[in-house]
Amino acid sequence: MMWMDVENITLTINDSSVSGREGMTILEVAKENGIDIPTLCYIPELSPTGACRICVVEVEGSRALVAACHTPIAQGMVIRTHSPKVLETRKTIVELLMASHCGFCMICEKANICDLRKIAADLEVGLPRFETEKRFYQIEDVSPYVQRDMSKCVLCWKCIRACREIAKKNVYGTAYRGFDAKVVVDCDQPLNKEVCRDCGICINYCPTGALTRPKKLGEEKKGKPLVISS
Amino acid sequence: MPEVKKKTKEHESVLVLLQEAQEKFGYIPEDFMANVARSLDISLSEVFGVATFYSFLTCKPLGRNVIRVCKSLPCCLKDAQMIIESVESELRIKPGETTTDGKFSLTLTNCVGACDKAPAMMINDDTYTDLTPGKISQILKKCK
Ligand code: SF4
Ligand code: FES
Ligand code: FES
Repeated sequence: MMWMDVENITLTINDSSVSGREGMTILEVAKENGIDIPTLCYIPELSPTGACRICVVEVEGSRALVAACHTPIAQGMVIRTHSPKVLETRKTIVELLMASHCGFCMICEKANICDLRKIAADLEVGLPRFETEKRFYQIEDVSPYVQRDMSKCVLCWKCIRACREIAKKNVYGTAYRGFDAKVVVDCDQPLNKEVCRDCGICINYCPTGALTRPKKLGEEKKGKPLVISS
Repeated sequence: MPEVKKKTKEHESVLVLLQEAQEKFGYIPEDFMANVARSLDISLSEVFGVATFYSFLTCKPLGRNVIRVCKSLPCCLKDAQMIIESVESELRIKPGETTTDGKFSLTLTNCVGACDKAPAMMINDDTYTDLTPGKISQILKKCK
């Protein structure tokens, strides 16, 4: 019988005892129990990458904090999702992401739908304390479907995974290394029509303002102009 | 939970093929990468990703003598910056550039395994250690 083997792992999250099934991640169990752990690079339906570390939690006996989105639960685990140590680390991680991210929220069109900005606001991260080098790239606006401003990219790899695993197109890849790492198309050519069709899936997944639908200025003024006479 | 995608056989053979091209042409031409992508049925961006990840692979033609100055921590602590600067002023190029006569290219690399004799650099397949700015000009003069 199916339900015989369900809920067979018991663990403790934030001092209350909860249970989950074999193979579930800490994040999934937390969510089932109404505990909200912020995530940025996680896509529920796709394989986790653990790229952003925003979802870190404390697991008793573990040397370092672990990422909840890809760490499987184990019998007897004692987890803290919002301890002072977790909150401080999470905040620093967001601060570091913000420090190397070249978006200026004040003038960013996507500011109100930006996941990164929302997380930063939730965690009360102000202006980053760290002065880091920034990467500036030319905006890629060749494609009529997707406009890419890679200066705003935080390397969460969601667009790569969404394109590869959902759209089954495999347009994007990661290239270069370390500070120079970048999401590229082909040999770092601007995204063009031939390789990309208009599914726009990557735009919906991008947690920052890096990917947007190109604006057609002509469309903003459709219809008869209003003329007021006398 | 979905399976984490394992590195596949294709990814291993990409590296082997790229290394062969690097040896044969001195760099990895774009159409070669396109061929690799087609024959292994992966995207060009994935092949390019591998090619640009390793500092010993390069996507543009380089000079006859490729100078790789180590920039990892031990060398850095032994003032690798000074070595970089003296190569720069000697050849009048910056890391990532090639001299106009096609004789030298300068790049930076991670640890080359000579930390005990830091600062270190490589020119093609030879390693030079315990470097000082004085040594640099002698070494460069000997290059053909
Ligand atoms: S472009 Fe957007 S979705 Fe793609 S890696 Fe950058 S931040 Fe993530
Ligand atoms: S959401 Fe877990 S590492 Fe990004
Ligand atoms: S750090 Fe330069 S050789 Fe090891």
